[in-house]
Amino acid sequence: MSVIIELKDYSWKYLNTQQPALDKINLQIEEGMFIGIIGPNGSGKTTLAYSMNGLIPGQYNGIKNGEVVVYGREVEQYGHGQLQKIAGMVFSDPEAQFTAMTVEDELVFGLENLGMSIPEIRERLEWVTELTGLEKMLLKPPYELSGGQKQRVALAAVLAMTPKILILDEPTTMLDPVSRRRVFDVLAKLKNEQHNTIIVIEHNLENLIPLADRMILLSNNKLILEDETHQFFQNMELLTKVGIYPPGALRFFYELKKAGYTSNTLPVTLPEASKQLKQLFG
Amino acid sequence: MNKTLLGYVPTQSPIYMIHPFVKLFFMLIVSLFPMFVAAPEWNMLLMLILILFMWISRVDMRTLKIYVPVAVSMGSIIIISYVIIGGTHPEFQLIAHFLGINVYWERVRDAIVVYFRILPMIFTMVFFLSTSRERDVIVAMRTIRLPFVVTYVFAMALRSAGMVLEDFQIVRQAEQARGFDTAGKSPVYKLRKYVNYMIPLFALSLRRSEEFTNALVARGYAFTGEVSKVKRADYVLTHYSFKYYDAIFTALISLTFIALLILRYGYQYFSVDESVLINWLRNFFL
Repeated sequence: MSVIIELKDYSWKYLNTQQPALDKINLQIEEGMFIGIIGPNGSGKTTLAYSMNGLIPGQYNGIKNGEVVVYGREVEQYGHGQLQKIAGMVFSDPEAQFTAMTVEDELVFGLENLGMSIPEIRERLEWVTELTGLEKMLLKPPYELSGGQKQRVALAAVLAMTPKILILDEPTTMLDPVSRRRVFDVLAKLKNEQHNTIIVIEHNLENLIPLADRMILLSNNKLILEDETHQFFQNMELLTKVGIYPPGALRFFYELKKAGYTSNTLPVTLPEASKQLKQLFG
Repeated sequence: MNKTLLGYVPTQSPIYMIHPFVKLFFMLIVSLFPMFVAAPEWNMLLMLILILFMWISRVDMRTLKIYVPVAVSMGSIIIISYVIIGGTHPEFQLIAHFLGINVYWERVRDAIVVYFRILPMIFTMVFFLSTSRERDVIVAMRTIRLPFVVTYVFAMALRSAGMVLEDFQIVRQAEQARGFDTAGKSPVYKLRKYVNYMIPLFALSLRRSEEFTNALVARGYAFTGEVSKVKRADYVLTHYSFKYYDAIFTALISLTFIALLILRYGYQYFSVDESVLINWLRNFFL
């Protein structure tokens, strides 16, 4: 698979701050990958997402060093709005990203900006509402929906623009567990059916791990670990040291391993954990 | 029920058959009527017609009760400014004198005329806002080919007004939770302490603006530059069509306005001197 996003020695420092928000990041993201980005608050996750979408340096003042290359071009080389067609962004606060008065207007806003025709818009609208289960909410004001529904609207509004890359910045932070599940169900559909490149910044690992192909750990504004998901979670000592607490099952097997009860690779999902448990005690 | 700008109207209301442009046109033109009509009884008739329209549109008439204090306070302000502090006018006809205040017939008459001019204007606005959703206003504006950016800024203003109110509630509740509450305190105290709400609210608004700008950029929108020159399809307008009865209503509103102007300036109808109510009151007071 080809590399579509590449960061080379990339650093970004916001104006009037002492420390860089991102420090010498080197990263390659391949097409069609589902990437999970984790890290403590203030580690630079949102800055990384904004850098890949062109919001940085477009909308923020600061000092940039190194390169952020998306589809072979530096982000600054894209004209206004061009990069956003390729890399869609969903923000953590769904309420703050609504730009229209009804769900339907919200979903078609980006399509109108792209200069699409009415039949094309109608087709995309039907597709995205079915994909995200928003058929019955089209005429409602988005700010009157529940938290989960709001975030699905925000996600659908970006999806409708069919970006090749989808970046989600803590999309489930403000949601209850059921709503979180529904957002990740939509992401699973996208991964399996649409084969988009999806980059998710998330604290909730239970939902993220089963979908992520690769994981990235940021801490103190540096990229300190990047690996395939299974391999990534074998580094439990490092993860706990920087304040990442993986799901209970993973921690349980880590404790068993430390106590010498097993030497197996740590299971990262519940089915894997259940299987290993049967092997150990069954 | 569909949420309108001032409340809720049942989904089955006949008002939804009317094109949003006709509603906007009605509001803009009919609210001008009282400016050319001085006789209060005609303005009262207009108010009755507007109430009838609200009833036909299935607006919840109980919500009209909330405008009673507005009407009373507005009436009081007009009476105070015209009658009580209207000044000394030897050329006017004195109808009463108490507590050193001269009450003149002409000032009472003018107060009544002004009051019954403003009331139907408010009723027209209430009718419009009670039967229109935000989307209707936007559609009406786009129908008359207002530039997208103008209608969009208007829509954003509507939306941000709601957001500021919500943020204000959040700030207030947060401060109440930490023991700061102005309930039961004097208005001067409340005014002085209002800054405690305003500073966080201002900071929140700045953050909201940043997030909103990011959301617009992320959806490929820009007010200036090449992106803004993209020819936009207006999808929302595809849900509305201007039917033959919309044209009839628009023509009726226009013709009524023209007839009103002809009757007013051609035949001196609707003037104070022609008013039955004013003449009856004059006979009563003098």
